[in-house]
Amino acid sequence: MASNLAGRVSPVSAGTRRERKATAVGWLIGPALLLFALFFLLPLGVLGVMAFLSGNPVNAPAVHFTLRHFERFFGDDLYPEALWATLRIGFLTTLAALLLGYPLAHLMARAHSRIGHALLLMGVIAPMLTGIVVRTFAWMTLLQDRGVINTMLVALGVTEKPLKLMYNEFGTIVALTHIYVPFMVLTLAGVIGRVDERLEEAARSLGATRWRAFREVTLPLSLPGILAGSLLVFALSISAYVTPFLMGGTDVLTLPMLIYQQVSSSFNPNFAGALGLILLAVSLAVVIAYNKVLAGLAGEGA
Amino acid sequence: MRAKVGLGAIAYFGLNGAILFFLLAPIAIVSVFAVNPTPYISFPPVGFTLVWFAKFFANPDFINALWLSLKVAAAVLVLSMLIGATAALALARGNLPGARLATALFMSPLMLPAILTGLALFQIYLLAGIGRPIWGLVMGHTVVAVPYVIRTTLAVLHNFDRRLEEAAAALGANPVRVFVEVTLPLIRPGVIAGGIFAFIVSFDQFPVSLFLVVPKGETLPVVLFNYMKFDLDGAIAAASMVSIALALSVVILLEWIIGLRAYLKL
Repeated sequence: MASNLAGRVSPVSAGTRRERKATAVGWLIGPALLLFALFFLLPLGVLGVMAFLSGNPVNAPAVHFTLRHFERFFGDDLYPEALWATLRIGFLTTLAALLLGYPLAHLMARAHSRIGHALLLMGVIAPMLTGIVVRTFAWMTLLQDRGVINTMLVALGVTEKPLKLMYNEFGTIVALTHIYVPFMVLTLAGVIGRVDERLEEAARSLGATRWRAFREVTLPLSLPGILAGSLLVFALSISAYVTPFLMGGTDVLTLPMLIYQQVSSSFNPNFAGALGLILLAVSLAVVIAYNKVLAGLAGEGA
Repeated sequence: MRAKVGLGAIAYFGLNGAILFFLLAPIAIVSVFAVNPTPYISFPPVGFTLVWFAKFFANPDFINALWLSLKVAAAVLVLSMLIGATAALALARGNLPGARLATALFMSPLMLPAILTGLALFQIYLLAGIGRPIWGLVMGHTVVAVPYVIRTTLAVLHNFDRRLEEAAAALGANPVRVFVEVTLPLIRPGVIAGGIFAFIVSFDQFPVSLFLVVPKGETLPVVLFNYMKFDLDGAIAAASMVSIALALSVVILLEWIIGLRAYLKL
């Protein structure tokens, strides 16, 4: 389209100029490629190699290839259980963030007044600006035994002893959900906003209730947003370190916690690399499976 | 029939009100503990004090960490705006073979568990024997911040009318002049929005920093985390307020420069 219009302006010279310009502008990708080659692809490649080495190749001369880090992982129940806990927390957080994020994203996408939209946006962005550590602190003050919620429950006589709301998986998931709902809302709001409202109106004028019009028109059309938002929240929550550490107490052990432990106290970067590679492989597998399931759902809906 | 619709609307707005309360109340509660004088977290508040803010500003660990975080975030802001804007231009205008692949690569730090980016950088710095210098931390933050700049800039580039550039060229402007006088002003809001995103990503960055900081050279989130492992008092709440205030002033700056509505249209 743009090329047609350009052709009308000046058929020959515009064409050649554009091609020459194209190559020159193409070089601008250089800095980003260099950054990603040196500080992303190369390190990840090294991580993958380190996972199969017996030691640090720089200071240990007799380093050789080995599978023993992976044998260690599967040979001890502790590690597969940590992997399972990581995935469970990731799934439940994603599900909770989707259930809480969708209504808010819908409201935001359908808000017609500028002020209403801006206020909603501020309400969603304010928690994002607060930082993971601060938000985890907020949830600790809310959920601990002497925290806000337990103090109120005891004062109201709902319970005699404070409930165990944190230092377990429940508290971890609640805090993680709070942290990642804004990511879900922002991803979903853009997609729902692109679904033409007139489609829903057409369905309703043909006799569908508001709920049915939503369920059969807007919801299927927003599936790409659900997919994108869920994958983002899942990737973020299986990578979480601060929140499971502080909210989970001794009850929760996740893969990121094990990885940092290997680096900081056990000083075994090779085993840390193997743990990282396993986290990567499992998260990729989940992403691919999730994609297939949603693609199937979308096919049925059409 | 009318009553039914009314009930649905009440449920819809009630549900959204409850969700907003869930999002905002925990942050509001932090401000209560920042000024509550009890030496441990307790509710309801019993008075008003600024002693926690005094404790925060008198603690050199906190202040040094705050400065380091601000310096790193400022460097990340500049670097990621330069690298991200040039990459977005090349992707949108360069007719590059494999542009889709390159875009996927540049976006992948958003989907890859950030803890792996941190671990991988830790390992390569270890093998290279360079220790954990501040520039290494800056590069780590830049890798996870650049995708935001590329995304916002690409969005602007896809939306704007390419005929503006072609008209300028047809009127005799050379490519450099077209770039400086037409392209650059048009993509500026996208680059600035992405840059501010990059600043916040760096300022609040935890998983990458965790692996790349040295003792006594930690960023604010890492220092706060280490403090919270042992102590849970108002100093953390005061530190939270300071860091929220800093982040909010960045957003107000953003609103002032380009308006929040443009910020959402990523």
